[in-house]
Amino acid sequence: MIQIQNLRKQYKAAVVLDVASLEIPKAECFGLVGNNGAGKTTLFRIILDLVRATSGSVVIDGEDVSKSEDWKSKVGAYLDEHMLLAYLTADEYFETLRKIYSISVEDLALHLAKFDELFNGEIRGKKKYLRDLSKGNIKKVGVAAAMMGNPQVVMLDEPFENLDPSSQNRLKKLILQEKEHAQITFLISSHDLNHVTEICDRIVLLEKGMIVKDLNEKSSMIAELNEYFGT
Amino acid sequence: MMLQLIKLELTKTMRSTSFAKSVLVGIFLGFLAIILLSYLLILGIFLKEIIEKGFNQTDAYEFLSANLVYFFLTEFMYRYFTQQLPVIELERFLHLPIKKSRIINFLLLRSFISPLTLIAVLIFTPFAFKEIMPRFGDAAGWSWLMCVLLTSWSLHWVMLWFKQKFEDSFTGLAVIFIVLLLGVGSNYYGWFNIGELVKPIFDWSLTSVIPIVFMVLVFALLYRLAYTYYRNNAYLEDLSKEENVRFANSSFGILNRFGLAGELANLEWKLIIRHKKSRTYLMLAGFFLLYGLIFYNNPGFQSEEGFSHMFIFVGTFITSIFMLQYGQMFLSWNSANFDFFLKTRGGVEALVKGKYMLFVLTSAISFIASVPYVYFGWDILLIHICTFLFNMGVVIHLVIYFSLWKPKPMDLNKGAMFNYEGVGIAQFLMMLPIFLGPYAVYFPFALLINQYAGLAALAIAGLIGIVASPYLSSLPVKKILKNRYEISSAFRQEI
Repeated sequence: MIQIQNLRKQYKAAVVLDVASLEIPKAECFGLVGNNGAGKTTLFRIILDLVRATSGSVVIDGEDVSKSEDWKSKVGAYLDEHMLLAYLTADEYFETLRKIYSISVEDLALHLAKFDELFNGEIRGKKKYLRDLSKGNIKKVGVAAAMMGNPQVVMLDEPFENLDPSSQNRLKKLILQEKEHAQITFLISSHDLNHVTEICDRIVLLEKGMIVKDLNEKSSMIAELNEYFGT
Repeated sequence: MMLQLIKLELTKTMRSTSFAKSVLVGIFLGFLAIILLSYLLILGIFLKEIIEKGFNQTDAYEFLSANLVYFFLTEFMYRYFTQQLPVIELERFLHLPIKKSRIINFLLLRSFISPLTLIAVLIFTPFAFKEIMPRFGDAAGWSWLMCVLLTSWSLHWVMLWFKQKFEDSFTGLAVIFIVLLLGVGSNYYGWFNIGELVKPIFDWSLTSVIPIVFMVLVFALLYRLAYTYYRNNAYLEDLSKEENVRFANSSFGILNRFGLAGELANLEWKLIIRHKKSRTYLMLAGFFLLYGLIFYNNPGFQSEEGFSHMFIFVGTFITSIFMLQYGQMFLSWNSANFDFFLKTRGGVEALVKGKYMLFVLTSAISFIASVPYVYFGWDILLIHICTFLFNMGVVIHLVIYFSLWKPKPMDLNKGAMFNYEGVGIAQFLMMLPIFLGPYAVYFPFALLINQYAGLAALAIAGLIGIVASPYLSSLPVKKILKNRYEISSAFRQEI
């Protein structure tokens, strides 16, 4: 689904990302971990063509992301608030996205129904701008928006951050369920090792922009990560 | 402690991103401020002569005192639009172990150090020295001057309280409207004379100290009012209020027919009415519709044949002021969520198209609203039609293209007046084509043939631009896509 070749990002002399090769197959749940400044968000931004790579390429479903736009309808993402329209209410925002993705009112209702439990009655039907919501609720809106319009790839940066424990569990369930039913490829970066090892089949560990571990064995994952992070 | 606060304040100014990035803009503005203030000083020095010669008055003092109230009404207006509130600063201090009273005193006093405080000083001090002291004696001059200055400075505290309490509310607008009406009503149309009501107080100050004592009390009381209000509301939830959702379902229905671009135009409309900065521009556009009243019936601009060349300029402003002002910061308006448009398929293209639509729509509304100016002659309507076409065909493309030169991020929730976020050199340079563009087309024909030929040239150039607009509007899209990484990272304020 996603192929990355010789990807480098350099700010003057500092190399912040250097990925020789990375392939993410379809319907894989791909986890990205690493310390602060390891390059997780930069990698995501480059995949989404928000930041220019110094060299190398990212190919999604056969398309180089920096050369075309068609892949954008196959990818949903929520990295940070810059991807939201903070001056709308949640309902207005979903409605706007509905028109942009051209899906029907019924499909939107079906989609949002899946999030009812996660939203916990705090999001929809509220007369509040997104910018005035709490951080956790903003995140929920962003995640729901990223999964809209039947994307084949969903990218989430720190989806569990700022969520309360029960919301974290609900989100986890939701992701596993979507992966199962809709064959979505998930790319998730997280600092929460327990969550990320639980939902992801594969975990890549970044250090100073480079891949230092690529773990596929679910049973030993958590132990290896704990050893690396010293937790 | 006070010293510490002052030091912090200085460091903040020095290190703010806008300071480092736009020292040039800062120097330019500082220079501008000095020039403006020195104009005021010159005005003050020659105020006596201006009143005597310019207004044919024999008694400069009488005349000035009778009209002082208009100065204060004007002051109320410009303070309302330009004076900044110290609230934003408050958030950064509240959690620290500093007494609230100290913080608030500091913020209030700091707000007092501003060019606005100097305006009355510069205008009236020379007058007191040149006119009042020789005539009524030194003591009288000082006493009168203090009275005037204290009134002006009292307005400072009133405004701090008034703006914090009523800004953006219906009451606030109503008060502003009443102040305007008072000024215009009594001055222009002579319904009543509020000047006469206030004059005795200042006359009295020539012979007695009571008015000064009184004004000092008023000044202190109003400071107390501002202080108490801020002190009692020194909580985050009080000062930075959450807004209620406005205009939940308002949109231009007509735009729905234009697909994604129309949808984004509707979004942009929501953005405009939900942010303070853009709302101010919208309000200004409304005020500018009245701009013609100053020029069109002004005897200074009447000519025997045809019309004054100046009217082209007036017409340009009236028909498209919103597009000119809003368009200057074309992409900066979306700086907080630019990634959203990049991530959306065809998002940038639709965003630009949507903005074009919105500009055309708002300009068309301004144009239609300006039709009643036909009362001043058919020429005016003709000028408006031609400048409108020229704006839609030519100026719009110039503004948008120029605005894409290193766009800067900005915070839409701050006021628009004296807020130079999002302003770079491009925005200054852009003024040239806006001002000169219409004349560059108009003058050759107007001077060689006649004024109507000049107007026809404007209209034809505009029509050509409108016909070519599918191509012309694709240029900014290409430019944005080409520079998308730089723009996106500038908006995230990286590097």
